[in-house]
Amino acid sequence: MIELKHVTRRFGNTVAVDNINLTIETGEVCVLVGSSGCGKSTTLRMINRLLPHSAGEILVDGEDVTAMNPEQLRLNMGYVIQGTGLFPHWTVARNIAMVPHLLKWPKERIDARVEELMTLLDLDPASHASKYPQQLSGGQAQRVGVARALAADPNILLMDEPFGALDAITRDNLQMEMLRIQKQVRKTTVFVTHDIDEALKLATRIAVMDQGRIIQHDTPENILRHPASDFVENLVGKQDRGLKLMSLRPVRDLMQPHAEPKHSEAGEGGVNEEDSLRQALSVMLWKDLPEVVVFNARGLETGVITRASIIQEGV
Amino acid sequence: MPVTKPAFNLMVPNRVVPALGVLALALVWLLDVGSIQPNRIVPGTGHGLLSAVGWLGAGLVTLTLAASILISVLPLRRRYSLLLGVVGLSLAALPLLLDMFAGRHLPEASPYARSTIASGFWCLLFLLSLMLIEILSRLRAGRALQLMLLVLIVGSWLVLLRGDGLASLSLVREFNARPDKFEQALWTHLALAFGAVAVSACLAFVLALKMIRSPAWQRPLLGAVSFLQTIPSLAVFGLLIAPLGALSSAFPLLQSLGIRGIGWAPALLALIAYSLLPMVRNTFVAITEVPENLADAGRGMGMTERQLFFQLKLPLALPVIIEGVRITTIQAIGLTAVAALIGAGGFGGFIFQGLGQAAMDLVLLGALPTIALALLADALFTMLADSLKPTPAAT
Repeated sequence: MIELKHVTRRFGNTVAVDNINLTIETGEVCVLVGSSGCGKSTTLRMINRLLPHSAGEILVDGEDVTAMNPEQLRLNMGYVIQGTGLFPHWTVARNIAMVPHLLKWPKERIDARVEELMTLLDLDPASHASKYPQQLSGGQAQRVGVARALAADPNILLMDEPFGALDAITRDNLQMEMLRIQKQVRKTTVFVTHDIDEALKLATRIAVMDQGRIIQHDTPENILRHPASDFVENLVGKQDRGLKLMSLRPVRDLMQPHAEPKHSEAGEGGVNEEDSLRQALSVMLWKDLPEVVVFNARGLETGVITRASIIQEGV
Repeated sequence: MPVTKPAFNLMVPNRVVPALGVLALALVWLLDVGSIQPNRIVPGTGHGLLSAVGWLGAGLVTLTLAASILISVLPLRRRYSLLLGVVGLSLAALPLLLDMFAGRHLPEASPYARSTIASGFWCLLFLLSLMLIEILSRLRAGRALQLMLLVLIVGSWLVLLRGDGLASLSLVREFNARPDKFEQALWTHLALAFGAVAVSACLAFVLALKMIRSPAWQRPLLGAVSFLQTIPSLAVFGLLIAPLGALSSAFPLLQSLGIRGIGWAPALLALIAYSLLPMVRNTFVAITEVPENLADAGRGMGMTERQLFFQLKLPLALPVIIEGVRITTIQAIGLTAVAALIGAGGFGGFIFQGLGQAAMDLVLLGALPTIALALLADALFTMLADSLKPTPAAT
């Protein structure tokens, strides 16, 4: 758990972060979102003491961070930044092993851990372990960046616009990947982004920041349904909130399940249980269908979802 | 007719080698190849190619050059390997030409007579070397091949120059008159140049670290080392004579160490002063130009400043630092020659002695090894910097 109590950060006469209170529960993904210069990165960097705070208290698992040795504190917090920050003179394997090396793990344990992480992040250890960062694509490099952050199994993950420099498709892939990994490892995550869609997709709770203050701190659904101010309303988009809400809910929520999962020819109009309502609606509109069949992860047909049910109950 | 690209490239005639070859042919026939001096001081009488080495020698030279021109324009498969053989062997065998020349023209009865290398021969040597460089770059020759070639050519020159046939060559005579002094000059030269580089490298490292730690020091320190660089070298040598002389007469201990107003001490100090600017600047820039986001990532992952320095900054900065050492070393080898003016020794001694006696070959005896040392240092440090490149090229 991370608690920020009345935290302020001043740079000279300007106040970058203005008396904020924020509690991030263990295992949740808190996304700090706002335009550039709103103080979100500053907030993140105060948590691992890359920046000192000017006033207030920051507690990690109940302990004041200023009382801890900064290196010890950071060794237990994975850190992922935009543009990866991988060391160019180290191989992928050595980069991932950075923190285990600093913690002086035995070699066998490091090697095993590197291989495990590369597999987790869908990087082939045999072909990629001895490559150098500049020989990787942007998406692969950021996967290595995430693997490096997870290497010593820290309790906390700090991510500072990690997918900001990637193209839309790669970003989307990595976001899905992150959701998948988060389900497995359940890290307390603080994630900074300026992209509200990214925030809605990844967050358990979103903190909207503006001019150094937290305007609203709530679940994605509540942020969409009850924006606290005009600023938040503008940020989430006045016009397409309906669709955004639909993209938060999976098909599983509104489908009419079959009594038994059954084998079927994989129809062209099928959707997945984990797909969002928005995707299902899109498929039906495009194909001009009143309903589509739903498949589970193993390819069995588990139910159907109708256009009418989405329109009545989707939002 | 469809032609695959690599084969096509192979067949493209080379333009550089024939151009150099034609120039070499023209110059070697137009200019004197060697001259004979009745003694050390009297100007010699020049001999053109035909007169110097006869039909046999002239024919060989002409044939070799013509062959290399032909090979480079004819559609041959292993063009550059063939060229490498021809040009490499000619370079290695070049002293034989001088041998022939001395054998034909040196009067038997006069012990003071000597043969001298003239402009035509120097041109031939220079142009053949350029051809070799072109060929090596076309072959994308690895370091091993380059090194082997260098050893072969230099070795063959040394063996041939030490042989009896070339004993009459004025350069060899000047050397044979003072082999001990030559060796001593070599060691003094090396000790002064590399000593200065080593001391200034350590000093520069400390200064660069100081500048990084306390930015307030950057301007004054860089200003000071730049100022040192702007003083003419001779002036520094001169300026150091008085204070060092005074110190040495005040403290007998210094005198017993050999520290006096002239000699190696002021030379070393001046060389160090000159080496500081490129060294400090390169070290400072190399370390500060390590991208901030990398340091940020390292720090954020829990590295201490010390670990950041040794694991990130220094490895990334090392090639640039070595580059500074390379520039400094070449500069110091050249400056050491001038330091002979204040009695520091080294190859500069021969140069100034030769100038005083109007004996150009003695000047060459000092100048040629200085050039060779500088080239050697350049090659060594370039190799070192390449092997320390921390990252492979992006693919």
